[in-house]
Amino acid sequence: MYSADVLVIGAGLVGCATAYRLVQAGAQVEIIEAAHPNAGASGANAGSLHFQLERRFLENGEALADQAASILSLNRLAIAEWHGLADELGPDIRVHMRGGLMVAETPDDVRMLERKVVREVAGGLKSRMIDGDEVRALAPGLSQTVLAASHLEAEGHADPKALTLAFAAAAAGGGARLRQRCRVVAARASKGGYRLSVETPDGPVDLTASKIVIAAGAWSGRIGELFNLHLPLYPVALLMNTTERTNPVLDLLIQHVGQRLSMKQAHAGNILIGGGWPSRMRLDAAGRFDLGQPAEMLTSSLRGNLAVAARVFPSVADLNLIRSWTGITAVTADQLPLVGEVPQAPGVYVAAGGSAFTLGPTFARLLARCILDEPEDRLDIFSPARFSHLNSFMGMARA
Amino acid sequence: MRSDKDVKRGRSMKVSVDGRAVAAFEGETIATAMLAQDILAFRRDRAGRPRGLFCNMGVCGECLVTVTQAGAPRRRLRACITEVADDMTVVTGTGDQP
Repeated sequence: MYSADVLVIGAGLVGCATAYRLVQAGAQVEIIEAAHPNAGASGANAGSLHFQLERRFLENGEALADQAASILSLNRLAIAEWHGLADELGPDIRVHMRGGLMVAETPDDVRMLERKVVREVAGGLKSRMIDGDEVRALAPGLSQTVLAASHLEAEGHADPKALTLAFAAAAAGGGARLRQRCRVVAARASKGGYRLSVETPDGPVDLTASKIVIAAGAWSGRIGELFNLHLPLYPVALLMNTTERTNPVLDLLIQHVGQRLSMKQAHAGNILIGGGWPSRMRLDAAGRFDLGQPAEMLTSSLRGNLAVAARVFPSVADLNLIRSWTGITAVTADQLPLVGEVPQAPGVYVAAGGSAFTLGPTFARLLARCILDEPEDRLDIFSPARFSHLNSFMGMARA
Repeated sequence: MRSDKDVKRGRSMKVSVDGRAVAAFEGETIATAMLAQDILAFRRDRAGRPRGLFCNMGVCGECLVTVTQAGAPRRRLRACITEVADDMTVVTGTGDQP
């Protein structure tokens, strides 16, 4: 007798959304969370809905950019997913899809954008190049330094403080059980499934299920080790900033093809500024990255991020910066997300690896179908099977 | 109100708060000048309710006012840690620009 059909490790966006899709189909689900829902990158990110190819996919050469273009199929699904989410979860998640611009300030940037749009259109995305004047007509306030931009109507933002909690509430409403402040410390194969040893505030418990979902964000690699697996997920620490509230001045999501920048005006009027500037992860006593401590903010990143924001959208310089914070997410070895069943540990699924605010609800919908043994091939290119060579000598057979 | 006995003040400054001329002296904060005139509502929240100076040391943000000075862009500043300057214009309210 199992504790549940599925045990989900991690109550971030992906874990809560996956739990919701599973309970909708009638599955018995428990979510095990080491801290509290939305404690990690799900709540710390800046809430961009970016469906154009990300800058990080373009900065490491054409071969990697070609490979990364395979994510476009998922981006297209994500656009449809987000169009339905406000109706499904209610207005509090603040879905705002009024369009997004990726701007270019140099002729080299413009050429990179043009190649990007060619890739996107070939991948079925309705992005288009527009010149500087059209950019400023769409987004008054953008600087004269912007020569051109790629525009995609579906882009925008939503509230990362609300989305995970909305999914958690919906999952709980469907009968999912959430265990907070509970840490998985061991896993072993057990009668066609897995037995997890969990430390809870009330003492240790063992939980069993035929299927496990690792949705622990930056911690997923460490959780993988409990299953004797290498999950090639690398934690990365980023910087986010917000200004004070102001009246509506920026309707679109702004990104930059040549600089690290994302910028948007959130529903309350604050302008959120990020775009991938690094922070520094702290080390534990053994000298390893300590995911349990907030990353250290780097002055160089703070200055750099705000400088590019003020250059691209000059009036932001008149606003007070009221908060900057760091958050830790994860990237994979090949920069595509890692979503699906791990071949060397049948019944163990993983969903992590970046862009999971934009893509998380879609991961959840598709992964739930896989877990429920429904036909689903749209996740195949993101399957952990592509890293099977790392786990040739790893994994655990089910008892 | 101000105590004037045995007090040496800086030079007088021309400052207006919500269109009203307010007596102020060099070295005083905007908050000092406002409180001396019994102006207690420094800002309004989004529901329009008045909010007042709370910590008086630059931490809480409850005293944010909109300040215009010659040669500088209009800014939201903390009245408690911003010194008055000549011809400074201070506006209380929600901070939403017209």
